[in-house]
Amino acid sequence: MKYVPKELRGNVNVSRTSPLKEFAILLGGILGIVIVVYAALGIALDLVVTSLPVSIEQKLGSLYSSVYEDSEVTPAGTALQLMLDRLAAEIPTNKDSVQPPPEYKIHIIANTRENALALPGGNIVIFSALVKGAGSKNELAFVLAHELGHFANRDHLRGLGRRLVLLAASAALFGGDSRVSGFIMNSLLSVEMKFSQHQESAADLWALDLLNRRYGHVAGATDFFKRMSKQENRGRFSYYFATHPFPENRIRTLEKKIEEKEYLLKDKTLLDAVFKN
Amino acid sequence: MEQIIIFIILAVLGYTAGTLAERKHYRSIETRERRYLNLPAVTTKKESFKESEVENAILVSGNAVISLDYFKRILAGLRNIFGGEVVSYETLIDRARREAILRMKEKAGRADVILNLRIETSSIGQTANKRNTIGSIEAIAYGTAITLKKT
Repeated sequence: MKYVPKELRGNVNVSRTSPLKEFAILLGGILGIVIVVYAALGIALDLVVTSLPVSIEQKLGSLYSSVYEDSEVTPAGTALQLMLDRLAAEIPTNKDSVQPPPEYKIHIIANTRENALALPGGNIVIFSALVKGAGSKNELAFVLAHELGHFANRDHLRGLGRRLVLLAASAALFGGDSRVSGFIMNSLLSVEMKFSQHQESAADLWALDLLNRRYGHVAGATDFFKRMSKQENRGRFSYYFATHPFPENRIRTLEKKIEEKEYLLKDKTLLDAVFKN
Repeated sequence: MEQIIIFIILAVLGYTAGTLAERKHYRSIETRERRYLNLPAVTTKKESFKESEVENAILVSGNAVISLDYFKRILAGLRNIFGGEVVSYETLIDRARREAILRMKEKAGRADVILNLRIETSSIGQTANKRNTIGSIEAIAYGTAITLKKT
């Protein structure tokens, strides 16, 4: 048999498909599945959260309380607590909703960031910089009312649960942390952030109503956000991925509501010396 | 946010660099395959010539290591979830094997035929079997190069 050299044309071992098309289809599929599962769990969670008994919330809350209990009681803390109690007394009772925590507790912790948190069990954590930086009593009252709004809407539990769902979904789908799951979780997180921005706006509006009920006017409600927007020269774009809305948008929403409801704007009360320490 | 940006940069870089390198490699493979067309490499152990006709018979081997790019690995990772053909790895194996055969032929010099050709493949690199790492594959081709006496 004589060997006749013959060139082979084409390549059967390599498929003629576009890798980019394959990538788009696979990524779209996986993102779709994750979003559907996540949304379903989220809806289920919202149902659970609104009917979670107070006793369970108290247990959760005691975990947080024990951490902050050690912080010493300052005159500023006592004054804030008094302000909070008076605000809380004005919260309208709604028979349909689950009972709110029996008492709200202020914890001031030393921190240079201006922030406040609502944690399970009626715990409100205020960073010391916020108290020092505040321009008026009304401004602080709005911040407290905003946190009370989170309790009224049960956002403090919702945030906890959503994060849990996110973790569970990621672990179940990918088993561990691979680059693929990292990417998908990050994209989902930005959806989550949008959800959280919605909660913040709801708490803002709720706080406005409470402020009006307590003081009969809403002066100073937008002061905190005005200060924030001056301090932070972050671009509007970076807020797309943030948990809180753009401060200027929050001011605009509040001002619109004030106009709509014809709330009064009286003189602001200056801060006592105790808050400045 | 930063992670998404890093991911996108790596994926685009992987896709561009990987595609360019692959095209260049295939061009080179095809040119050299044409050059070595007159040196057959076959898997049979026996040939029709007599032992007395053989001037020289030696073992020749060639190997090649080809790495995955970032984009291909992500694509294969997604494929792992749904199942099906991992198309993105096909060129990798194909290139490694053909390159190994070409290097083996190069080593054979003026031989007339390579008998008993074998190809083996293995994943390579310290991190080849771990998650989150870029692996490479190695292909080794070996056979017996026969040089016949010139009459």
